[in-house]
Parts: sequence; structure tokens; C-alpha cells
Amino acid sequence: MATLELRTVVKRFGGVPVVDGVDLTIPDGAFVALLGPSGCGKTTLLRLVAGFLAPDAGEIAVGGRRLSAPGAVVPPEQRGMSMIFQSYALWPHMTVEQNVGYGLRLRRLPREEIAGRVATICTAVQLETLMKRYPGELSGGQQQRVALARALVVEPQTLLLDEPLSNLDANLREEMRFEIRRLHDEFRYTTVYVTHDQGEAMATADLIVVLRAGRVEQIGTPEEIYGRPRSEFVARFVGGANVLPGRFAGLDAPFSIRLEDVAMFPAAPPNGGSPVEGTVVRRVFLGSARDYVVEAGGELIRITTPPQVDVQPGERVWLGFPPERCHRLEPVSSGG
Amino acid sequence: MKVDLSRVMFALAVLALVAMVVLPVGWLVVTSLSGPHGPTLDNFVTLFTDATMIRPFLITLGSSAAVALLCVAVAVPMGWCVARTDMPLRSLVRILVMASLVTPPFLGAIAWELLAAPNTGFLNQFARVALHLDRSVHLFNVYSVAGLTFVNFLYTFPYAFVFVANALERIPADLEDASAILGAHPAQTAWRVTLPLILPSILAGALIAFLQSMTVFGSAAVLTLPAGFHTMTTRIWSLFQFPPKPALAAAASMPMLLLTLALLRAQQLVLGRKGYALVAGKGARRTIARLGAWRWGALAFCGFVLLNAIVLPYGALLDAAFVKIAPALPTFANLTLAHVHFVFFQLDATPVALWNTMILALGAATIATALAFVVGYLVARRTVPGWNVLSFLASAPIAIPSIVLGVGLFLAYTRPPLLLFGTLWIMLIAFVTIEFPAAYQQLVAVASSIHPELEEAGRLLGATPLRVLWDITAPLMRSGIVAAWCFVFIGAIREISAAILLFTAPTRTIAVVIYDLNESGDTGSIAVLGLLLMIVTFAVLALANRVPVITTAAEEYRA
Repeated sequence: MATLELRTVVKRFGGVPVVDGVDLTIPDGAFVALLGPSGCGKTTLLRLVAGFLAPDAGEIAVGGRRLSAPGAVVPPEQRGMSMIFQSYALWPHMTVEQNVGYGLRLRRLPREEIAGRVATICTAVQLETLMKRYPGELSGGQQQRVALARALVVEPQTLLLDEPLSNLDANLREEMRFEIRRLHDEFRYTTVYVTHDQGEAMATADLIVVLRAGRVEQIGTPEEIYGRPRSEFVARFVGGANVLPGRFAGLDAPFSIRLEDVAMFPAAPPNGGSPVEGTVVRRVFLGSARDYVVEAGGELIRITTPPQVDVQPGERVWLGFPPERCHRLEPVSSGG
Repeated sequence: MKVDLSRVMFALAVLALVAMVVLPVGWLVVTSLSGPHGPTLDNFVTLFTDATMIRPFLITLGSSAAVALLCVAVAVPMGWCVARTDMPLRSLVRILVMASLVTPPFLGAIAWELLAAPNTGFLNQFARVALHLDRSVHLFNVYSVAGLTFVNFLYTFPYAFVFVANALERIPADLEDASAILGAHPAQTAWRVTLPLILPSILAGALIAFLQSMTVFGSAAVLTLPAGFHTMTTRIWSLFQFPPKPALAAAASMPMLLLTLALLRAQQLVLGRKGYALVAGKGARRTIARLGAWRWGALAFCGFVLLNAIVLPYGALLDAAFVKIAPALPTFANLTLAHVHFVFFQLDATPVALWNTMILALGAATIATALAFVVGYLVARRTVPGWNVLSFLASAPIAIPSIVLGVGLFLAYTRPPLLLFGTLWIMLIAFVTIEFPAAYQQLVAVASSIHPELEEAGRLLGATPLRVLWDITAPLMRSGIVAAWCFVFIGAIREISAAILLFTAPTRTIAVVIYDLNESGDTGSIAVLGLLLMIVTFAVLALANRVPVITTAAEEYRA
């Protein structure tokens, strides 16, 4: 069992808390994304888990074995973890084969077994024709696959990924998301995936941990995080949302509503509700959708509509806020 | 465990640097303030009142300033021609400039003795024949402040050249295109955009040229002593002649030490300005000026400089090595191998000096590189508290002129319990210290360029810190390590400024023997030894250039 537990982990740099009391339990074999803007402490948290940093308070345990506590850190090489780095960190002086086989050579496996396992994993990530190349001779996507193969060939209990796709172009990024998830499902290790891209987190993870300023803002499945954001921060950061005063939807507190959930009518709907009248300020055609900004009641509201809905800037529109799509937000926390 | 290991290395490195830097400089300061009856300022009073101390000071400053100006006047156009024009033979010019960079100034000075000594100098003899002058007349006299300035210029302008040419190569063409598209004439662009961008590099080059000629001992000794005047370095050296006055020598070292510190600080300020960061950026497309017919003029200019720096001096040395009595034009009648035979089979000093030089150069190169690897790595990774102390100590020797270090080492290691004077050890410490900063700067740069994630990846896969160092870091730094080793080796085989104060008969080096032979006027043997020195130098350089450049591959991969 490789259940990963973090208990009130704190890490300060120069007195400033970067990770500020994180409590988190990641079940064995789960795929968890640590999601947050840059500077939220997600990479620091990952490096604490990897053992590159020592916590200032709290502890980190895997499968009940305490790995990190202040002053007592099991070194990275004894943690049975693997990591994919943002830079891939492929060793430029070793071929693909040597890079991938390095971890096995350290484990002093017989030569034939190393060759066999390297070949198997390289086939799994479609590198079998590139074994003799040096990293400098590979494309970004291929380098990414080598990094994956090198991390997976040692059969880690835990795989850590630090913004692994941020150096890839958009198409490749999409492809690699699915690849990373597919490999997880195939090998069933515990995965901790750090990203600032909510799309990546939603596409890959079972569980998303939204971090803000070193604290956990919300934990939930992608559906929960997207559908029921608990704070303005989560609503805005994950997927984009309007955060509006309660009066728009007859609520006693501010609420969030997704861009695509706001209904927009070219005329006042006859059957009522209480539509809000506004003026189109901006219209952008995005191909599969249109993106509007409507000024209503002193607020600027973003709305995504199907492309057929076509209203000129300056025209009047009426907006509806379906109650089941409006999420009342908890009063502003002090954790900001 | 990792922390423990780096702490141990840290402690050892600090200890080594203390022995190399802190101890000598400490004794220098203490000695300069002590007299026969306890602490005193007498030495400094003498320094600032005695004309025989003030005059060398003024001569050195004047000559060095002139060298710096000459260097700028020559290096800027030359750097531009090589970096940014279609002048023919650009790479040959660059290679020859590098050749003059590695020519020891004392050897250059000796060669120029052969060329421009008032009576026997080649150039004077030619001039008399060509212009039908009387035997008593001479056009050139290398034994003069002007001669010293000229020779120092020849062997310091490469520093300014390297700075300028590199800066010119690194300015992205976009910056100049941006000026052109706004309507600027090429000359306006050069004046308003290019020149300001390379100005820090020009200043830095000028400062280095100034420092080099201020602190050089070899060429100064060769050219000033026959003429009966002194520079700062030869004056310090003379204070060690009988009767020795080490306290006064220590005091006399202080102005040079402080001036060097101040100038290096100035250079840092000039080069460290943020706005100029781009000059250190990636190489980019650059515009090449088409010179038309002028390119032959440009080539003639560069050729003339290199004629003086390389062609004539080495020609004179070759001549002296193989004619019976130099200087004389080589003919079949006066060619001889007598000097070669004499140097290798009859001169008592040769075997000892060769042996000492090889031992010292190999030892200094290996020790300095190993130490630079440890210190460079610790500083680049900043894992140890106090790394900045280490960084400071490691860079400090740059600011200590070799002869000043020689004085300091003499003072520090001629007293019990550290009685090293007269042994090869004191020479070894001197050579390691003098050459260490170059190796350190090379290796700290290489270590910093290796992404820490490359090492962390190894750790997570199960490698211990030492294993990571061995499997990953060291191979990636290999070409940097070899380059650093070669730098130190070349520096050590030609070192004279500190050696001249620290040698004894059994610890003579080739450079010291050459210097001795020069005093006795044995030009043939000097030429043979000098050429031997240069052959070894160029062989090592060629070796350094053949090392597979893995770090370059690493850089490409990261980019």
C-alpha cells in the first residue's frame, strides 16, 4: 500500500511560509492533481514529497512509513518514488537506452533483465526505434516519453510529475495528457501531478487539490471542483466563472456561475423569471463558440454561447441565471 | 548524509583557500606595518617620500595607462574587423591574436631585445643599412619606458580584443535593424546603438590591459634593468636583493594590491549593469559590413599589429635558436644546432628546471582543477551555508598581483612551523593560487549551467549524492574540467612573477632559467628554451581543443 499522507506540512523560505499547513491523504493508486497559479506552493509541496526539501513542521508518510519530518528526512534515493521534471532532466551524455536503464543499473539487476525491461517500457511509450539516440537528437514529445519511461521502468510506488507538459506545443500536450493517464491506468502507481493548467488537471486526475498561497483551497473530483466551486478563487481559477452579487439570482451572498450557464436572450423572455437587461460590450468568435461580454447592472458578465447566437456589440440583451447553476459562495475567507 | 559530505568538502576547501590567500595577505599586511622595534608606519613613510619608490610608481602608472589607451585604439577596430566585416583571413587573425595572448610577456620582451636593442637589434641594423646611418645611431630603443609600453601593449591587447570581439558578436542584429528602420544612417547606428552596447566591454578590456601591464614582472625586468630604471614590480623584486628589505617590499605591495582591488571593482560595476545583460545573451544573427576595397586596408592594419606581436618576435627567436651568434640573418654558413645541444646536454640547470616545471605544472593544474571543481560545485549549488564566503575566497586571488602573492607567500612560509621556502611546495602553492581563479570561474560557470533537476532525477532513481556526482555531474562537466586543467597548466609553465621571489637553485623552473640566461646575455639558449615552452603550450592547447564538447550538447539540449 502506498497511501500518501501529508499532515500539517509547513515549509518556509526566508521565514515566509510557502507551504502553510497542508493536510492531504492520497489513496493508493489514485491520480491526484495539485492545481494552482504560480507561486501557490505546489512545486514546493511536490519537492517535499520527493524528499528534496525538509519540512519545517508536519510530516509526510507513505504506506504508514514516515518519510519526512523536521530534521528527519529519508533521502530521495530511498523513497521508491519516480519523478518527471519540468525540464525532463534527461542526461545529455547518455543514450535513450542508458537514460532509461540507469535506475535498473543502480539496482544491480542482471544485464539481460535490464535490457528486457528497458525494451518493454520503451515499447510501451513508443520509443523502441530511438533507443540509441541521445536526448539532444529527440523532439520535445519524444524527450517527454523518455522521461516517462525512465521514471516508470523502476516500477515506482509513487510517480511525481512537475508541470510535465508545459514545454510541449498544444497538440502534443493534449496527446501526452492521455498518455500519462493511460500509463497510470496500466501500472497503477500513485500519481501526484503538479500543474497550473486546469484543463490538464481535469483531463487526467481522479482528485484535484486546488492550492492557493500554500493552503488547500478545495479538494474534490473534477466534477465537484468545476460544478461546485467553494470559493470565488476556485470558481475563477478552474474553468472561468462569473462571480456576481447575490441580487442577480435572488441570493443573500455572492454566487458563481459558469460562462456557458448564463442564458442570453435577444428579447425579454415572456414567461418570466427575472431576467436582467444588459448591453453587449464585446463579441469574439472562437469557432466552436462565441464569447460575449455584457454590461448589466453595473457588472461585466462573460458569457459563452453557441456560435449561432449572434448579437452585435451595442445591442440590448436579456440574461437569465438558472438557479440550479448558481453556486452560493462561502463568505470570503481570510486565507487570501 | 549529503549535507555531511558537502560540509566536509566545504571545510577542506576553506582550509586550502586560507592557506593560499588569507595567510599570505595577512602576513603581508602585518609585515608592512612592522619595523625592527615593533609596529610602525615607517615603511609607508619611506614609500611615499623616497624618490626611488615614487618614481617607479609614476612610471608604472603612466606606462600602464598608455598601454590601456593603445589597446583600446587597436583592439576596437581589430575586433570590429574580425567580428563584423568581410575582411579576408579573419579566422587566421583571430588565431594569431590568441597566439599573442598565450605568449609570455617576458619571452616577447626578450624577442624584442633581439629586434630593437639599440646596437645589435635587427631593426636598428636594417635601418642603418637602408638609410645609410652611422653605426652610433639607432632608431629604436627597447630599453626605455616607450619600449616597455610597446611590448606590454603587444601582449595585453588580446584581452581587450577578446572582450570587444565577443561583445560585437553577441549584439543581436535586431537591435541595429531597429535603429536602421527608424531612419538612422549606419554611422549613426554605430555611434548611438552599437558603441554604447559594447562600451562596457571596451572599458573592461582597457582595465584588464592596465592591470596586466601594471602587475607584469617578466617583461618589465627584461627591459627596465639594463636601462637602469624600475617599475613597481621590479622595485619590489629589487627589495629582495641583498640586503633584503621584506617589510618595505610588503608595504610597496600595498598600493598595487589596493589599486587592483579598486579597478576590478570598477570593472564589475561597469559590466554588472543590468541594462547590458543582453550582451551576454545568446549568439544571434549579426550584420556583416561589406568593406569593398577597404578590406585590404583593414587586413593590412591587423597584419601590421600581428607582425609586431607574433611574426617578428617569433622570427627573431627562431633565428637566435639556430644561428651561431644572434642576431644575424640566417645563412647556410652560420646555421647551427649548438644552442639546442648546449641547452639539453650541457646546461646544468636544464634537467632540474624541466623536471621542476613539469612537476609544478602537472601538480598545480591537477590540484587547482580539483579544488575548483569542489568549490565551483558547492558555490553553484549553494547547498552549504557560507557558500558566499567560499565564492569570495575563491575569486580573491584575481585581485592579488602575482608578485604581491610572491611576497606574501615568502613572508608566510619562511617562519616555523610552516618552513616551506626553498621547497617546491611554496612554488606549488604560488602557482595553484595564481591560476586558481581562472579554473574556478570556468568550473563554477559550467556547474551552474547544469540544471539541478539532472541531478535530482538521478537521486530519485536511487543514486546516492556521490554516485550522482560521478555518473552525471562529472561527465557533464568534463570538457570544462579539461579546459580548466589546460589553462592552469599553461599558466604554470610560464609563471615568473612569483617564482622569481620564491625559487632557490634546486627549485628553478624553465621560466626562471630563461630569466637568468637573459641576464648573462645567452640569447641562443633562451630562444631554444622559449620555443620549447611555446611548443608545449600549443600542444596542450591543441589537446584542450580536441576534447569532445559534451557540455555544448547539453546546452543545446536545454535550449
